[in-house]
Amino acid sequence: MDVRDELMEHVPRLRRYARALINNRDLADDLVQDTLERALGRTGMFEPGTDLRAWLFTIMHNVFANQARKASSRAVHVAVDDESVHESEFAVPAQQVRSLEMRDLDYALQRLPLEQREVVLLVGLEEMSYADVALALNVPIGTVMSRLSRGRERLRALMAGSQPGAKLQVVR
Amino acid sequence: MSDQHMPITEEELHAYVDGTLSDERRAEVERALEQNPELAARISDYFSLNSLFHERYDRVLNEPVPKRLQPAAPRRSRVAANWPQFAGLAAALVLGIGIGFGTHMGQDAMPTMAGSANTRPVSADSSEMLAHQAAVAHVVYMPAVDRPTDMSVDHEQDFVQWLANRLGTNVHPPMLARQGFALSGGRLLPGPDGQTAQFMYRGPNGERVTLCISRRQVNSNTTAFKLYQDGPVNVFYWVDGDFGYAVSGGIDRKLLLQLSHDVYSQLTGAAPPG
Repeated sequence: MDVRDELMEHVPRLRRYARALINNRDLADDLVQDTLERALGRTGMFEPGTDLRAWLFTIMHNVFANQARKASSRAVHVAVDDESVHESEFAVPAQQVRSLEMRDLDYALQRLPLEQREVVLLVGLEEMSYADVALALNVPIGTVMSRLSRGRERLRALMAGSQPGAKLQVVR
Repeated sequence: MSDQHMPITEEELHAYVDGTLSDERRAEVERALEQNPELAARISDYFSLNSLFHERYDRVLNEPVPKRLQPAAPRRSRVAANWPQFAGLAAALVLGIGIGFGTHMGQDAMPTMAGSANTRPVSADSSEMLAHQAAVAHVVYMPAVDRPTDMSVDHEQDFVQWLANRLGTNVHPPMLARQGFALSGGRLLPGPDGQTAQFMYRGPNGERVTLCISRRQVNSNTTAFKLYQDGPVNVFYWVDGDFGYAVSGGIDRKLLLQLSHDVYSQLTGAAPPG
C-alpha cells in the first residue's frame, strides 16, 4: 500500500481532531484539506516505516499554527460557529443535561489557549503518548506535561463554572 | 520500587489518567486517591474530560468523508481505533468515579456518589462490574462498525449476520424492532475476562440504547434483572449461565425494561426472569 492510500485511512481521525480543535465543521475540514495537500506534496519526505500518524499531526500542527499566526496578525478571529451546534451533526439525543454539558465542552475548549488545547486533545482524544505529542508539536516533553496539567485544570474550572447545578439533576 | 512513600508527582497523576503508569505506581496512586477525596475529585474530572472528548467528537469518525478530502480513489476504510484506556476507566469505576462531568464538582449536591467512593469494595461483584462498564461504554463509545447506508430496516436479519461477521464474533445481536429500535452498529471492547460485544440501537426518536454481552469466567445460575444507575444512564443487567448482559440507555426505565425482556427472550428463547 503506498503512502497515499495509507494517508486516507487517517482522514477520519484528522477530521475528529480538527473538529475538536476548531469547533466549526467547514474550517476544520479546511484544515484537514490543507494538511492533506501539504502531506501529498511531500510524500517523498516521509520515511517509510516511521509513524505516519505522527507525521500527519505534525503537519497539521504546523499548518494550523501558521494560520493562527496570520489570523491574529490580521486581527481576525476564527469564528466559533454556534449555529452548527444545533445541527444534527452534533445533536446529542440522550438527555438535555448531557447536551448542556456538550455545549459547555465546546465553549470551554475554545477558551483554552491554543497550545494547551492541542495537548489536551492529542492526549485525551487522539490518545497519543506524551513522547509522540512532544514530537508532533516539536516541544520538550516537560512542556507537554505542563501544558497538559494547566490545560486540564483550566478546562475543569471552565466546565464547573459554566452550568452550576445543571448537571446534578439526577433522579434517584 | 523500594521506597513506599515516594511522593506522587503531577506528571504521574496525568499518566494515571492516561493509562500509562506502571502497575506498581498505579496502585500507589489509587491508595492516595482513597485517602484524599479532593484529589480523587480532580482525577475523576480528568477521566470525565477524556470521556467527554470521545462522546462529543468520536461521531466525526463515522461521518462520511467529504469528496474534497478524498484525493485518492474513495474506498471503504475501517477506522482502526485503539482504546487502550478502557482498562483505566474500569479501574476508575472501582473507585466509584462517576461518568458524568461534574458529579464531583458540585459542593455536596450528590452525597451518595461521594460516599460510595470511599465505601465501595474494590472487588465488586463481577456482574455489577459489567453494569459499570456497560454504563461507561454506553456514554463513551461509538460503533466501530456502522450500518451500511444501503442496508435498510427491512433487512434487519441480514445486518445482524453481517455485523457479527464484521466484528468476528459468534454473538448475534437480538432485534428490538417491536419497540421500534433498530440496530445501528457495534464494537468489541477489551476486558479482563475477554472481549465484550457492544451493540448500539436507535429508537424511533433517535434514543440510543446499547447492549453489552460478555462471556463470564465462572458459570453461574440465572439471576433476576437488576438495575444500576450512573448519572443519567440506567442499566438493566443480568447473568444467564456463561454470559452476562447489560442494557443501557438514558431513557425511561419502563421502556428499558421492556427492551431487556425482549433481549432476554430472544437470546434464551424463554420467559424472562423475575
